[in-house]
Order: sequence, then C-alpha cells, then structure tokens
Amino acid sequence: MKRVFAVILAAAVSSAALAATDPRTVPSQLPAAWQTKTRELFKQAIEIPTVHNRGEVPRMAKLLADQFRAAGIPDSDIHVMPYEALPGDQTAALIVRWRSPHATKKPMLVLGHMDVVEAKREDWKYDPFVFREEEGYFLGRGTSDMKNGDVATTMAAVKLMSEGFKPDRDIIFFYSGDEETRGVGATLGSTKWRNLTDAEFGLNADGGGASYDRNFRPLGFGISMAEKTFQTYFFTTHNRGGHSSRPRPDNAIYDLADALEKLRTHRFQPMQNEITRGYFEERSRQEGNSALGQAMRAWLANPNDGAAADAIEANPLEVGLTRTRCVATMLKGGHADNALPQMAQATVNCRIFPGVQPKDVQAELQTMVGPNVEVAADPLYIGLPTPASPPRPDVMNAVKAAAARFHGPEMHVFPVMSTGASDGSFFRAQGIPVYDVDGSWGISPDDERAHGLDERLPVRAMYDDVLHWEMIFKALAG
Amino acid sequence: MRRLSATLSAVSLFATAAALHAAPPALTQAQHDAAHAMFEHVINTPTVIGRHRVPEMAQFVADQFKAAGFPAEDVQVMPYHTESATTGGDDTAALIVRWRAAGKPAAKPILLMGHMDVVEAKREDSTTDPFVMTERDGYYYGRGTIDMKDGIVGITQAMINLKAAGFKPKRDIVVLFTGDEETNGIGAKNGASQWLDLLGHPEFGLNADGGGGGFNADGTPAGFTMQTAEKTYAGFTLTVRNRGGHSSKPRKDNAIYSLAHALDKIEAYRFTPMMSETSRAYFAGREKLEKGPLGDAMRRWLANPNDGEAADSIEASESEVGLTRTRCVPTRLFGGHADNALPQLATAMINCRIFPGVDPNAIKAELERVVADPEVVVTRNDDYVASLASPLRPDVTAAYTRAVQALHPGMPVFPEMSTGASDARPFRVAGIPVYGTNGGWVVTPIDNRAHGKDERLPVKSLYDNVVHWELMLRDLAGK
Repeated sequence: MKRVFAVILAAAVSSAALAATDPRTVPSQLPAAWQTKTRELFKQAIEIPTVHNRGEVPRMAKLLADQFRAAGIPDSDIHVMPYEALPGDQTAALIVRWRSPHATKKPMLVLGHMDVVEAKREDWKYDPFVFREEEGYFLGRGTSDMKNGDVATTMAAVKLMSEGFKPDRDIIFFYSGDEETRGVGATLGSTKWRNLTDAEFGLNADGGGASYDRNFRPLGFGISMAEKTFQTYFFTTHNRGGHSSRPRPDNAIYDLADALEKLRTHRFQPMQNEITRGYFEERSRQEGNSALGQAMRAWLANPNDGAAADAIEANPLEVGLTRTRCVATMLKGGHADNALPQMAQATVNCRIFPGVQPKDVQAELQTMVGPNVEVAADPLYIGLPTPASPPRPDVMNAVKAAAARFHGPEMHVFPVMSTGASDGSFFRAQGIPVYDVDGSWGISPDDERAHGLDERLPVRAMYDDVLHWEMIFKALAG
Repeated sequence: MRRLSATLSAVSLFATAAALHAAPPALTQAQHDAAHAMFEHVINTPTVIGRHRVPEMAQFVADQFKAAGFPAEDVQVMPYHTESATTGGDDTAALIVRWRAAGKPAAKPILLMGHMDVVEAKREDSTTDPFVMTERDGYYYGRGTIDMKDGIVGITQAMINLKAAGFKPKRDIVVLFTGDEETNGIGAKNGASQWLDLLGHPEFGLNADGGGGGFNADGTPAGFTMQTAEKTYAGFTLTVRNRGGHSSKPRKDNAIYSLAHALDKIEAYRFTPMMSETSRAYFAGREKLEKGPLGDAMRRWLANPNDGEAADSIEASESEVGLTRTRCVPTRLFGGHADNALPQLATAMINCRIFPGVDPNAIKAELERVVADPEVVVTRNDDYVASLASPLRPDVTAAYTRAVQALHPGMPVFPEMSTGASDARPFRVAGIPVYGTNGGWVVTPIDNRAHGKDERLPVKSLYDNVVHWELMLRDLAGK
C-alpha cells in the first residue's frame, strides 16, 4: 500500500559542478502516436475516482482489460475478479496473461493497483478527478500513485504486441483494487488465485523510480527489495464527560493531546539490515565528508551509535530508513459543541522495521502513553513482517540499462528498503520475490505528493515510463 | 439553553430577615388539580426541535389564559421559524400574553419569561417514556419537568389564580414563552427586538428559566439563587492546514501535532480572573461558610481582586468552576483523511463561556495569543455578542427573598452568575435587566438532571412554585 514516489539518493558530489539540464524539458523518446494513446488512457484512468467505497474500480479494470483485448489477448486470458475489500467496498482485481508461444522460463508477474487514496475537492486547487496538464506536469489523484504505472505497463505491452514481440515466458499482469486500504486483492492474488498468478518473480510498478534534486542533479534510482510493515493503531481516551460550562482537569481531548505530544517526540530504537547497510554504504560514499556522510559512516562502524542514527533520520531524504516510525494521521473526538468529550481518538500509522513484530510496537506505544490512553491495533489490517527479496542480477541489469538510457550514467541504481508497504509484501510473504522497478521519476521533494495535495507527474516521466517497461519486458522476457 | 440547577452550600446573603413564619397562601384543591392537569398535558407534548409540537403547546397554554378570562386580543400565539446547521429546523411558536394594568400603569411592564421547548430525550435512554408524565416516589418524571415546564405552569397557574382572586395589577404583566431556547434562541432575539412593542418595552424581566433552589439529601437547605448574570456562550474553531503527504515519511510539520500543541497551551492557560457585583456578592456569602482553604482563598480574593493565585485555587474547586473567569474547553476534534496519509487538515471546536461584559471577539484575539502559532487559525462559530450582568435591584431582590422565605423559612438566598446561557441574553444586551427568579426546588445534587436521563421534579415543588409566582407578582405588580 502506500507507495512513496521516489526513493532518494543524494547527488553524486563529483557531478555538482556540471550545469544540469532540467529533465522535464528533455523531449520524450516515445513516438508521438504512442504519446497520444498513452495520454488518452491516462486521462480516462485518472477520471475514474477509484477511491474505496465508491464502487468505481470495476470500471477501471474494464478500461485496462479493453486495452489488452484490443491488442489481441484472448478473453480466456483476461480475468476481472470481483471481491470485497473493506466491509461493503465492492472492488475488483484484473489478471491478464500474455502467453509466450514458446515459453522457456517460468512466468513473470507484473504488479500494480487501480485504487487511489481519497482526495477531497475542497482540499485541492483543482478537482482531483479531472485530468489536467500544465507546465510540464500531469495533475490529478493517482498521477504518481499509481495509475501512471498501470498505464505504462499496459501501454508497453500493447505497443510490443503491435510490433509483433513474442515473449519467451508468460507475462502475468495483476492489478489489484484495494492496495490503499486492506490488500485483500494481493492476499487473494498470492494465495487463492495462485493458479492464475504463479510466477518466478514479480516486478512491481508501485515503487522504484528515479529522482532529481531541485538543481536537476540525479539522485538515484532505487529498486525496493524489502519493505517496512504497515500497521495502524488507534489511541483512544475515554471520560465521563459533562457540561462544557464546567470544565474539569480530566478531559479526553487533553489526555489525547498529551499522548500525541509524547508520540511527536518519541523515537524508536535504530536498526539496520543487509539492505539498508548496503544502501548507507553507497550513500556514505556519495556524501563524502558532509555531516550526513560522516554520520552514516559512524553508524555503519558502530550500529549502537544512536546519535549518528538520529542525525541520519533527521535528514528529509532519509526519513524512515533507520528505524520504525509512527505518525498521527487522523483525529476524532466529542459528540456536541457544548458537552465535555466522552471519547477522543487518534489514528497512528506505523511503518515497522522489517523483522519487528507489530505487537511489540504496540507494547512500546502503550508504555509511552501510559495507562490513561488505550492503544489498539486496527483490527481490519494486521501487518505481517515479510522477508527481503534476494538480489537478482537480471533485474538489476535490466533496470540499469533503462536508467542509463533515460537519465544517463549519473543515475545510479541501488537496492533499497521501502518505507511504504505495497501489494508486493503479500507475494513476498508467499514465496514470490518482488522488485519495485517502475520507471517514473520526479523532482525531489517537490513532486513527492502521493496521498497528498495536488498530486502530479512530469509529462515526460509518463511517456518515458512506457519505453522503460518495454525495455524491461524485452530484457527479462525476450 | 442549558440550565443548571444551583448546587450551593448555605449561607444567607440577603437579609436573613427575621423569618416570617406566617403561613404561606395555599392552593385550593381545584387550583391544585388544574396545575396538575396542565403540567401533565404539557409534559406529554414532546416539544423537541424537529417534532413540530411547540405551536400546539403554545395554543394549549393560550387556551388556559383565555378560559380564565384574559381577553383573546391580549393572548397571542406567534409562529416563527428556527433553524441552524447544527440543530436542523422547525416551525415553532412563542406565546405572548399581556395582562393590562387597571387604570394608568404605575410603571413600565414586568416581563415574565420561559421557554416551551425541551432538549431531546430518547425512550431507550430513559427508565419510563420521557414524554408520558409519570408520578412515583414523590416525583413527577418526564422531559421538561425541571427545564422548564414547571416554570411555564407556575407562571400560568399563578396568573389564573390571581385573576380569579380579583387581583388588579398596577402595571402591565407581560408573558413571553419562547419555542427554541434550547437550540437557536430566535424567539428571545425577536422578543428583544421586533416584538418589543407588543411586550410594551418592559422595565425588567423575571425569568422562570433561572433561579430556584435546593435541599441537601439530609433535608437541610442548600439555598436558593437569583440569576442576575450569565456567561456568554461562544464557539470557536482551531484550524490547522498542512500540505500533507505520505505517512511513511513523517515530517516535523504535522497538522495534528500543531493542533495538539495548541490544545496543550489552552489546557494550561487561565484567563484573567474577574469579579462582578454578582460574583462578589456570591463569594462574600460563600466564604462565611467555608472555613477551610477554599474559604481562605475566597477571603484573600475578595480582599485583593488582583490576587490571581487565590482566584486560581477557587476556580480549581469543582463546586466553583467557571465562576471566577472566562473558561474555554475543547469539545470536538476532527482531522485527517486517510490512515496512511499525513493530515492536511485538523480542527478542534473550542467551547467558551465568557465572563459577562467581555466581547467574544476579544476572546478570539486572546486565544490567538495563547496559541501563538500562525499555523493555527482561530475563527468564530457564531455571532453572539457579549452578555451583560443585570444590576441588583432592591425591589426584585426583596420580593424574591420574601417569596422564597415565605415558603421555606430561613432559606438562604444568593445572587448567581450562571455558567450556562438562556433567553435572558438578548434582553440584557438590549438594556432590559433580567432576573432568574423561579421558585422550583430539587434535592441536590441527585435531581440535577436537566438535559439528562430521567429528569424529575419533586411533586411538592410544582405547587410551591405556583404560590411563589403569586407572591412575586403581588409584591412587584400590586403596590
């Protein structure tokens, strides 16, 4: 669920002196006719508001299915799978199998999701479900998370089919309909529907990607191979309430505010694993003698150096990579303007370091807030820690070749741990390694707006992503 | 709105007058039965907003006046509409009755006030149907038994009795019973403006939705209060907006944390203590009873109104909360839009009860200074203006004290600033002083159930209140 747009690596110091070109102004290599088709599909996809409970995901599934059907995939290989996600949320997954006429390898799975996070008209400058293009960007909910990936993977396949490309392994497309809420689709896809999805490995379009800093220096292309565990907790306070003209020191809202103040300053124990150590080793080389680089080296040399880990975590580029993080995301409380609250509740969203059990995080939070605040895990989604995927040279090499073509040799490709969680975790948990390799990119941090306001994607990133996936398919199934 | 029964310890503030032990007037059996029948009828009429039953009750009460000989042209049901975003709407009504003075009036009219609407009560939340009056264990049970259909019946039956007895008022007595006090107060607003001519521009008002008294559970008197002031009800919203983002990448700037921090500041903040004529008289009475640290604090504060520490320790007492200053408290919270997204919006509703005479706009500015964070925007939820205290009038104070002590010899009487709000506000703001002078009583604190579950009134209180209003009117309009 909950993808972070770009995984970020800081500028290679050696390139700092070069006058960098604004990557948004470089023309896309995608032929004009395919740009038109891509734009039209992207517009239609964005304008279907596939927020949970709106019942619109099946329409999106049909839109994508129609593209594959028109390109020549037989109906028998196109499966729209209806299912219920959150209670009452009728959604659907789409499973498409592009068969190889002479398969020599086990199938490859391509993952994406069709649903988007809620976006409210009154919070946005423009209607989030009206597709817009301005100043080199496509705007709308889902432009970066992740209808761009749905469109890129679909269009790449359609384009290759139109050019007569025959894969040497089956390529299975799996687009879920509730990645942002419960992950029921991915759960079913990795288990009950396994006869349709079984594969040697998966490539997830809901992660990966390159980024540039504001001076247009390449920051890197991260391939997520592990992810933190997603778990939401509720902090709840209760009180006998009363008439608001007679306030008392005991107050459910004040109790909750105190707990939130503790949460704001709480820091979990720093942790490392194989992937993050590899990441920080590479990053510390890039950072050179900067304070950040020194902190990284100090922490790698001594994993108990908490001060060094704190300094890394405080950097906006590294947030979430050194430990479990929790943050308050929603609030509710009270029942009348003129009554003391009987209940107040905060939703606290945690991203738990791989290997740590959610129940241990819950215990730590409970100790932190004390006995007056009840801490409970969201019963609708209990997170399961998942293993990291083993490194695969073929995937790394395919991504490196694509990154070099669209961004030049300065764009380094690294394995990373994702702070978000996605459908990939369900497949990893069921023995299918997953690699997040989408080719979209943006300017960091300005374009990191997934789940937030005025979500957007550079126009060229959308078009080049079609070519990026075309290269990936050719490299790994050709 | 939101009437609170007094919960006072006893001491006499006003003349502990050598108690008049003359027997108070008693109701005849016919008057008793008429009051009972009227009370049962109005309790059984569910005058909750949205149920459209207030006009029916207004007509019923009007019919009682007309049947007793009040001329039809002086008994008017005034339909009006009440509505707001939070309460919904209703077609409601007020009742205006004018009992004209015999001959040239000696003074401007006396206004008698009450409200016919009640707060919602749900069958499943009550022991017996709240809209079927039930008598048991010496109580009348039902929604509105103390808030405040007892006062409607008290005033109405008293006027009927006085008329039957041949009483001729020396000044006009004007009744205004409104139909939306518990919600939007449009009736009172109209009364203090467009209906003032009908009401004859009264000199002062006596509100049956205030005052009253109590006995402790052991039967000792807990005191009666006369409401002379009420705090101003005002709602504010704290709003924090943020660009939001992905919850896997928390940032220091966070709408919920900013709001929580602002709430922490409001929790710690105390407005400057204030003392008015009413509260000074109240504490001057209270300190005589309080021998311990609370009484010491009252004495220190009365001696030195700048002794903020003394005022703080008074305010910290649960029995005195809200009486030393403006108080604000958060009552509702809203925030965020998805569990996996950093919040773009977080809001808190702040409910303030403002010391009489203080402008709510000044409180808004003060909240802004307290919060001291440009990210936290403070806005008002309503346009209420400052409520004013009514100056203590010797004639009203004396009449109330005499009536109370005629029925309850030796009963202490206090002035009171209520922390809730009522129909009195727009009249006080319009320059017409209002005094809460009902004569009903309860056993405190167990009968303090206004707005709550199983609201009830001691049976005897209903009939005492009729006598109380007869005594008040004879005293204030008969001389």
